[in-house]
Amino acid sequence: MSILAYNGGSVVAMKGKNCVAIATDLRFGVQAQTITTDFERVFEVGPHLYIGLPGLVTDTQTVLQRLKFRIKMYEMREGRKVKPRTLMAMVQNLLYERRFGPYFVEPVIAGLDPVTKDPYICALDLIGCPCEPADFVVSGTSSESLYGMCETTWREDLEPDDLFECIGQSLINAFDRDALSGWGAVVHVIEEDKVTTRHIKSRMD
Amino acid sequence: MATERYSFSLTTFSPSGKLVQIEYALAAVAAGAPAVGIKAKDGVVLATEKKHKSILVEEHSIIKVEMITDHIGMVYSGMGPDYRLLVRQARKVAQQYYRTYLEPIPTPQLVQRLAAIMQEYTQSGGVRPFGVSLLICGWDLDRPYLFQCDPSGAYFPWKATAMGKNFINGKTFLEKRYNEDLELDDAVHTAILTLKESFEGQMSSDNIEIGICNSQGFRRLTPAEVQDYLANIA
Amino acid sequence: MCSEVQSAQDYMRDPRKHYFSPYMDNGGTTVAIAGEDFVMVASDTRLSRGFNILSREQGKVFNLTPKTMLASTGCWADVLTLNKVLQARLMMYSHEHHDTMSTTAVAQLLSTMLYWRRFFPYYVSNMLVGLDESGKGVVYHYDPVGHMEKLTFSAAGASVSLIQPFLDNQVGAFNMEGVDPPKMTKELARQLIHDSFVSAAERDINTGDGIIIYTITKDGTAEEKIKLRMD
Repeated sequence: MSILAYNGGSVVAMKGKNCVAIATDLRFGVQAQTITTDFERVFEVGPHLYIGLPGLVTDTQTVLQRLKFRIKMYEMREGRKVKPRTLMAMVQNLLYERRFGPYFVEPVIAGLDPVTKDPYICALDLIGCPCEPADFVVSGTSSESLYGMCETTWREDLEPDDLFECIGQSLINAFDRDALSGWGAVVHVIEEDKVTTRHIKSRMD
Repeated sequence: MATERYSFSLTTFSPSGKLVQIEYALAAVAAGAPAVGIKAKDGVVLATEKKHKSILVEEHSIIKVEMITDHIGMVYSGMGPDYRLLVRQARKVAQQYYRTYLEPIPTPQLVQRLAAIMQEYTQSGGVRPFGVSLLICGWDLDRPYLFQCDPSGAYFPWKATAMGKNFINGKTFLEKRYNEDLELDDAVHTAILTLKESFEGQMSSDNIEIGICNSQGFRRLTPAEVQDYLANIA
Repeated sequence: MCSEVQSAQDYMRDPRKHYFSPYMDNGGTTVAIAGEDFVMVASDTRLSRGFNILSREQGKVFNLTPKTMLASTGCWADVLTLNKVLQARLMMYSHEHHDTMSTTAVAQLLSTMLYWRRFFPYYVSNMLVGLDESGKGVVYHYDPVGHMEKLTFSAAGASVSLIQPFLDNQVGAFNMEGVDPPKMTKELARQLIHDSFVSAAERDINTGDGIIIYTITKDGTAEEKIKLRMD
């Protein structure tokens, strides 16, 4: 089995009308054994800016720490906050530096541009190849199921509440068919004036 | 390398606390051709004198006002060869920034990094400080920028300034002529007039060089455009 | 002289190993939804081998009896063989009993047949659909070695992981508080099947080209063909 699926976990992000949403499951396991059910793998790294790091959890944590370091250095040097696409470039560089001994994470970025307020979503593979589609991105052990769910349920210009419903149902129904993801979910809906974080209960098996 | 053991930095403090090598470098700058920079409401202008040793020189094959990125330009007073090394470094820094963050380098960032390079040459072994001061102009985040960068690595943001030969006269002239709501066209005129203050002989499109930077980016004026500005002044 | 040197080298060389793999994945996806008095089953029409498309018009649903159909994907050779053997068994049954087999009986027979090959299985994902003795629609889902589950809706084959969560949500009404599963009509079933395949074809290269939908009712079997993306 792939080392990417060693700990399990999935992340999905979607664009809406002047908003974006990013959601994660809460399972942290070692192969088939579940260890904890409160492991959030989506992190706030800036104003209206979140990154999900599904994959090998040791690398999730290392990548997060190294990324935070680089973000803080950037913010001190330039005296401004990092933009979503700039963050993507930073992650891309961070991952590609380890091209031949990669971190086993496949990040998902979701945020609003601090200036233009444009919604931004992006997914990268483990060596930093980015994908910036107009609708949704998926990553993690439930990615196939998520593709099926998102492809059928996502629509253009969803309002924040509808986007929450869409991403929540997509994630939960997707990971219910995946033994390595699940055990509850967290959804962040990012709007221009606020970020709403909701914890969702789901079946625990 | 074995030789490195004996290659101390030449830039050492004098007992009075001065770094005389840097002062000599500034002297080299002050002896160099004049350069002027003026910030306007809607852009920045860089202008410099480009006198030639001989009438046999093919004038337009030598360039002093250089583009660093689409939105940043640079000119110098002092030693030409030193300047060209800095131009190469500046372009490299700008491209490195773009590759890291996928966005154009902000002008203050370029200046900071270039200043860091110049500072390094005041403290490293086996090198001497640069014999140039730079004028760097840029346009980002919907506003103009103008910086001067000295051999010491010190840098200053200016509304308008002059460097090189007769820079004191140039600055005095600018202090009199500058006002906050200058348009770019007026700024070009003022820049030419500032150069004219100390210019010996007849000014022509062959012996001055002008660069402008606005929301469209940076570009060097063609000799024909320079000629038009000169004609308007006369 | 040269050839002597070469033959010596041939002799010294490591022996070469050659493997034969008896299995092949030919892709294909099937979906089935049962209603009170009907059952709908559909497959895509693409037959693939790796990145190659072998056929763009190969349905994967087979008639067994007037009230029963079998949807099979996986190794196409095994699909054909399994179907051939199953048809033979049904024929023998009808000769012996002067009657067609009931859907429940065919379902059990298929499970048994698959398990008989427990240690050299048919590499096939099966769904058996039909009307039971009371005329109600049923779906049976199998794993390759005969584990059988009776359901009201299911997907199988290449895009199962894309489609199944969608059916869970839309047909089973899973994970929705205070929402009852919808009353399944032919229109709704057809719509859901269509949406499933369109989505699967969007993301899975082993699914595409077209859909064939069969609707089994007490009056017989209706067939409908729909186009899908062909890239």
